[in-house]
Amino acid sequence: MSYSFQNTKILIAEDNKPMLFLIKSVLQSFGVGTIITSLDGDEAFHLFCQSNPDLVITDWMMKPCDGVELSRKIRNNPKSPNQYVPIILMTGFTEKRRVINARDVGITEFLAKPFNARDLYKRIHSIVEKPRQFIRCEGFFGPDRRRKVPSKYAGPMRRASDRVSETNNDEPLTDIDFR
Amino acid sequence: MDNEHYNQKPRRKAEFINTPNLLKAKVGSGGLNEQIIQRAQQLLEKHAEDFAPLADIYLTRMKAAIDDAQSSEVTDAELEDKITDILVPCVQLKANGAMFHYQLVTRIAGKFAQFMEVVDCLDNEILNIANAFHTTIKIVVAGKIKGDGGEQGEALIEELDNACNRYFKKHNKN
Repeated sequence: MSYSFQNTKILIAEDNKPMLFLIKSVLQSFGVGTIITSLDGDEAFHLFCQSNPDLVITDWMMKPCDGVELSRKIRNNPKSPNQYVPIILMTGFTEKRRVINARDVGITEFLAKPFNARDLYKRIHSIVEKPRQFIRCEGFFGPDRRRKVPSKYAGPMRRASDRVSETNNDEPLTDIDFR
Repeated sequence: MDNEHYNQKPRRKAEFINTPNLLKAKVGSGGLNEQIIQRAQQLLEKHAEDFAPLADIYLTRMKAAIDDAQSSEVTDAELEDKITDILVPCVQLKANGAMFHYQLVTRIAGKFAQFMEVVDCLDNEILNIANAFHTTIKIVVAGKIKGDGGEQGEALIEELDNACNRYFKKHNKN
């Protein structure tokens, strides 16, 4: 038994045509059934409203509407058909301050460029297997930004149902390699 | 008596929403077969898309931004924008280089991006360093030096890195 992406629809927004071609090729080899492409954020939002994809993969740096603005529209615009859609933001920026600012518009996963096929797959796998609840509060709407889990407890258990999480406590906030 | 705690405003309320995992429902379980991932990786490693036209766009933007900063004194109000104008095309070179088999471009541009993220002015020394990075990347692309550039690539990186460190040392920014 393995994943089948045959029935999935993915929207890619990337203003760099050769890169768009590469990402599309990788998704096709993953077996994605429908791939919709756009060269800018405004058109991508229009296509998003029309096609309501299962996943959005967007580049950060596009003009006139960049990937962060596109994500903001998807999360907050009343026309958005699915405010909860997972969004992967691709970026060459790895500086923490910039990444945290982008995270705060409601990005689900970051993908640092350059990337390999496994990097992209890992982000998709994380979205499929480790979905995060959404949080709506003053000034933020998006997937829960907290990824840290309680530290491993080594003491005695009080209840039979108690168990220690196997998750790595050092899991980073955004899955991106800060420099 | 500390009444700060007593008078504190209620914490902002947050609504927690658990959404159905639609993607999981469509794709099923078990992950992707390793062979599929490797096939996708081979696509990335063997494609023949030309990087030069793309690199030329970013190099031109980077050079224009450096020249613009060099043409007149950069005010405090302009500083952040001027740094970003130089940084963004450089980050694009870093992001795209290795995707098109130019790993050395990614490394050089990555070094320069790190440098530009920490500078707090645009003086002549910084702009000279920026020009050195720009020229080096241009030469790598023009010379079609794919991969990591071997020992020469390593020497180039070291030289550029030394220039940045000399700047930091001179201005006590270590």
